[in-house]
Amino acid sequence: MKALLYVTKRSLMNNLKRAVRKPATLFLILFCIGYAIFLIQIGITAARKLRFDSAKGLVVLVTIWALYVFFADFLSYASKKGVLFKKGQTHFVFPAPISPKLVLVYSAWMNYIFSVGVNLLFAIAGATVFGVAWWKMVLFFFLGCGLEIVLECSTMVILYTNEQIPAKVLKGICIGIKVFLIGITLLIVYYFWKNGITLETVFAFFDWKILQIIPVVGWNIALYRLLLLGPTMLNAICSVLYIGCAVILFAAAFRMKCGGGYYEEAAKFADDYAEMRKRSKNGEMVMGIGKKKRKFRKVEGEFSAHGARAVFYRQLLEYKKEKYFIFSKMTLTSLFLAAIMSFVMRSAAQKTGHPELFLLGVLAYVTLCMTGYLGKWETELKNPYLFLIPDSPFKKIWYATLMEHVKALADGILICVPVGFVWGIRPVYVVQCILIYTVLQANKLYLKVIAQWMVGELLGKTGQELIRGLMQMVILGLGAGIAVLVGLLIDPDLVFPILLIYSLIVTTLVGLLAAIRFDSMEQMV
Amino acid sequence: MLEIRNLRKSYGRNLAVDEVSFFVPDGQIGILLGPNGAGKSTIIKSIAGLLRYQGQIGIQEIPARQLEAKRIFGYVPEIPAMFEALTVREHIEYIRKAYASSITDEEVEALLERFELKDKQDKLGNELSKGMMQKVSICCALAIRPKVILLDEPMVGLDPRAIKELKETVRELRDQGVTVLISTHMLEMVEDLWDVMFVMEKGKIIGSYRKSEAGEKDLDDLFFEMTGGDEK
Repeated sequence: MKALLYVTKRSLMNNLKRAVRKPATLFLILFCIGYAIFLIQIGITAARKLRFDSAKGLVVLVTIWALYVFFADFLSYASKKGVLFKKGQTHFVFPAPISPKLVLVYSAWMNYIFSVGVNLLFAIAGATVFGVAWWKMVLFFFLGCGLEIVLECSTMVILYTNEQIPAKVLKGICIGIKVFLIGITLLIVYYFWKNGITLETVFAFFDWKILQIIPVVGWNIALYRLLLLGPTMLNAICSVLYIGCAVILFAAAFRMKCGGGYYEEAAKFADDYAEMRKRSKNGEMVMGIGKKKRKFRKVEGEFSAHGARAVFYRQLLEYKKEKYFIFSKMTLTSLFLAAIMSFVMRSAAQKTGHPELFLLGVLAYVTLCMTGYLGKWETELKNPYLFLIPDSPFKKIWYATLMEHVKALADGILICVPVGFVWGIRPVYVVQCILIYTVLQANKLYLKVIAQWMVGELLGKTGQELIRGLMQMVILGLGAGIAVLVGLLIDPDLVFPILLIYSLIVTTLVGLLAAIRFDSMEQMV
Repeated sequence: MLEIRNLRKSYGRNLAVDEVSFFVPDGQIGILLGPNGAGKSTIIKSIAGLLRYQGQIGIQEIPARQLEAKRIFGYVPEIPAMFEALTVREHIEYIRKAYASSITDEEVEALLERFELKDKQDKLGNELSKGMMQKVSICCALAIRPKVILLDEPMVGLDPRAIKELKETVRELRDQGVTVLISTHMLEMVEDLWDVMFVMEKGKIIGSYRKSEAGEKDLDDLFFEMTGGDEK
């Protein structure tokens, strides 16, 4: 244990030293602290204004917390994804003479810190804002937080390190846990379906007796109610059940034999986690850890292309091998968002009298603020063969990104057509919106290349995105200003053509500038 | 000594190691040879306790999963992975604490000097190159003062001087009575190093030789004789 504590202590110290040396990180930490204080202050004011600042109000908050922790813990531990293992542990900790159970409990230390932090916040808020006696909040902190961590550790140890129960039975238990969680969700859905969603029913939900009867999580809520509101027959019995459950699980976890069999999955998790971090660092939107091995379709036929055109045809071949060609989960997300947006924003858009301009604003927002996902083009710049192809840099950038323009056109159609239909936008505007969206995406892509080329890894992906966003805002803001002026002074129908032509010219110029990056692998920074 | 008996490991339906048994006595260097995908790394990872397996693995006659066995066991994986926020020196300190190692400060200094890490000892794990990580990994395994040491493709990524030092270190360990097992597919790297060799193919040991039995034949001849490959 001494060795593991040493690693944690030294890592924290070194990270802190590094953060102090990097003003950007230090600024980010200070900003986060400031923002947290601001949020707490807003919460306190809101609680007082809404007359929520009583023990009952605190019970609502801790009930939400208990439900969240229970779902998060049980779901992640049952999927064996709740503990963060890193590659350094696979190398230096797993083969070391340290009890595998201890390694597991230690590996989840961040989870406990989070629990302790939140419970401490509850305890302080309880005594200062919610008017609960100090001694009650001290008891709440030690008993509530203590039992929560004991239960979490025990569940984790039982589900991860059990080597006595056959693997199939353990898998069945994990599925059972997930079914139980679905059951609780359905019960909550049933409550609101039966009673409707109003402020009264929401508050009544937290006093719903059945909630306290639900095994483990309900018993936990009952204990909180016992401590904060005083005893009733129901919360006293359920609290005893909760304490008994924690003691039994702790004893079972303590007695369990573990030779470190779980290291196999833990090492795999560490690899997947490292891969996820790498992808996320590259600016990709990563939705989960540990992807299944991808399957590709068999593609018949040949293609012949020379020079930079070969890059486009290679990408096309790669996309043809994908299960859904250029479409992915992101396409579905775009479609879903477009559908939601169509109905939610319909009245607001139509009220303006110019829904086409409203749609244009939405498209500009999507282009400027959403980082999106990596296409195949971004990996091209990391491939030395691109620079060896005997062709001009402009042709290289065009053919390396052509497929992205096709994808942007498809996404534009998916977003604009349903929205245009529901909002009643004239087809001519819908078509222009699609074209403008495609050009704006191309503009974003080329500016991204320029931002990367200018700042390299100096400011990281976030810094690059910020610079890209700023440049794009300035360039497009100028165009939008001109279009609005012409629209106001000459003819409103000219707004769309001006925007389209302006973006086309600007994007071509930006593309020409970005082509420099395709000449040599070397970056400015 | 290192003893493997009836080791069997499968990934789903794919049988990676099939009933493998071998033995490396104290003070000897064993080499595990075989083409890519033969199952060498699976055996090494099983010995290091990173995989579930069937069969028995004994380190100085102690089951490998027991903490007593781990205490005298050093491991250099094929791909080193550092603690990102720990310096080179702190990695060694961690090893000293985890294994309650008796290595002295002077010996640590000498070790770092030997593998040209002295001027890099304050560098963090995520600032090191692949070769440097490999050197740190070797130093950490040596800082344990192991009775059995496992080296998985240890020469990959090392510079010529480090390879020379590593070879000398391995010989010194042998002379001190330590059991060494090296897994590799780079025959020329272990040509002058081995006492006993095991050749693997498709998850099985297809043959083994002691140096004394090899006569005039070199490692290449023995390997291709067993695998049926036509090298020359």
